[in-house]
Amino acid sequence: MNAIITNLKNSWLKYATIGISGLLAAFIVTLLVLVVTRPTLEGLITSITSSEIHFAIMLSLVTALVSTVLCIVIGVPAAYALARYSFRGKNVVNAVLDMPLALPPLVAGLGLLLLFGTTGFGLGLADIGIEFVFTPLGIIAAQFFVNIPFMLRIMRSTFESINPRYEYVAKTLGCSDIQALWRVTLPMSSSGLLAGSVITLAKGIGEFGAALLLAGAIKWKTETLPIALFLNMSCGNLDMAISAATILIIISITALYVFERYGGASRF
Amino acid sequence: MLQIQNLSKDMGEFVLRNVTLDIQQGEYLVIIGPTGAGKTILLETIAGIYPPDSGTIILDGKDITGLPPKERNICVVYQDYMLFPHLTVEDNIGFGLVSKKMPKDEIKKRVTDAAKLLSIDQLLHRYPDTLSGGEQQRAAIARAIVMEPVLLLLDEPLSALDGQTREMLRKELRRLHKLFNITIVHVTHNFEEVFALADRVAVMNGGDIIQCGPPDEVFRKPNCAFIANFTSVENIFRGVCTSQDGASEIQVNGLTITSSTCKGNGEVYATVRPEDILLSREPIQSSARNSFKGTITDIVNNGMVIRVTIDTGIPFVSVLTRQGFDCMDLKEGEGLYLTFKASAVHIF
Repeated sequence: MNAIITNLKNSWLKYATIGISGLLAAFIVTLLVLVVTRPTLEGLITSITSSEIHFAIMLSLVTALVSTVLCIVIGVPAAYALARYSFRGKNVVNAVLDMPLALPPLVAGLGLLLLFGTTGFGLGLADIGIEFVFTPLGIIAAQFFVNIPFMLRIMRSTFESINPRYEYVAKTLGCSDIQALWRVTLPMSSSGLLAGSVITLAKGIGEFGAALLLAGAIKWKTETLPIALFLNMSCGNLDMAISAATILIIISITALYVFERYGGASRF
Repeated sequence: MLQIQNLSKDMGEFVLRNVTLDIQQGEYLVIIGPTGAGKTILLETIAGIYPPDSGTIILDGKDITGLPPKERNICVVYQDYMLFPHLTVEDNIGFGLVSKKMPKDEIKKRVTDAAKLLSIDQLLHRYPDTLSGGEQQRAAIARAIVMEPVLLLLDEPLSALDGQTREMLRKELRRLHKLFNITIVHVTHNFEEVFALADRVAVMNGGDIIQCGPPDEVFRKPNCAFIANFTSVENIFRGVCTSQDGASEIQVNGLTITSSTCKGNGEVYATVRPEDILLSREPIQSSARNSFKGTITDIVNNGMVIRVTIDTGIPFVSVLTRQGFDCMDLKEGEGLYLTFKASAVHIF
């Protein structure tokens, strides 16, 4: 009798699965701790306060901010259309817009490089001074391209979760279509917008592959945090590489926290 | 006031088929019908949310078929309130006035007045999700009323509320209708709302209005089997009610029906459920207050139960079980007494 109850309490499956998830969490924490504790505190501080890392932080922040704003400006209207209207080819558009999610960033970067470096469109832009290849503008373009699906998916599910009748009511209360969107739907989707922005911002700061191909890894020019990590690592400058990594870890943890805290309703 | 002519709209799941409807100034029209009948899409098409596939909507002589909602001055109140969650009750009620670019102090005054009218003036600073269902619906009604709409559309406004709140808000709607003489179209699937509120009732099914008229006419003379089955309300009488000592006497075609419920004096609807009516060959001495003599005009065998119609000056329907019917051996044309208690008479 007692043995049976003990068997019931000690579910084999329960302990095994809990054990696996615990091990996985420990594995991740170990990696992060290894990175952060590798250099001496002194060395870390010196590196973090170095002007090269400062440049990398600023470049990462500015490019990520600009690409996030672009993601909002272009992603929010597109997500709204996909959530609210039915139109011919909607499924195809949906699938294509999700493509960059599955695409390796290097491939995306190659495509961008070909677009801006070889076509008339790209060369024309370069002629009037808007140059993407091996410039910070290229970093922005790469971040935008890789991150836009995240903004799209989060905002699409946010808009889908808002009953369109809120807009109907607003329209009967004197709003045009755009006013109803501006005064009702957008404020109601603020947490989704925040979650989407935080994800694109954090991912933008960490963007490497696509940016590497389009903007290159040029010290003091296109050297974002991940590029700084890559450059310093390749020439054995471990302290500098790790300080860049540490900052990236801090940014990721902060972003994750904000996302979990405010983006609860959005799934993507 | 509002003329809807041959209005059609196909939304896939819901359709309107050639709806034609005339609504009078100051009228309270209730549209009733089963789920999926197209009631909500009719309201939303009137409000201008969807462009109709064909047909015209004429408001006060002006063709508004192609007009955007904001230029129609028609307001909608939905079953689930649709209060904007990011705004306080005050800002919700004032939402439409802000659209009209009214001065701030004027908005404040009108919002306060509307809130007082609906007894929610102490809730103005609260957010919708902190309010009860009834309070939210009052706020939603205030938000519409404050716009002084030419037409107020109510989409099952009471369906999400519990019994007592529903009753109170129903009275409120009646009061507001009288107060402002506002034209109202009210969609419901609740029959009590029809009797309590409607000047006219329109029955909708399959995207079309299949009968429209005063409630007693529609319910007593349904023009097709669908309405008869759908409504299946029998023994509805319209009469003049006088209250005395907590009971009511209703004069219907020379007959006096006594009810234990009391709704004040005036025109009312009274109903008696067929199974509450007792049939007998001889008058019964009992505590039941209503007893009438009549003649059997119709006997319908429904298998399990037998429906007997007795004309007493007004027609009553009673149902008997098969055993009861066999026992009494009733035939059409025979005289009969029917008896029911005052508490079996419901008044709307």
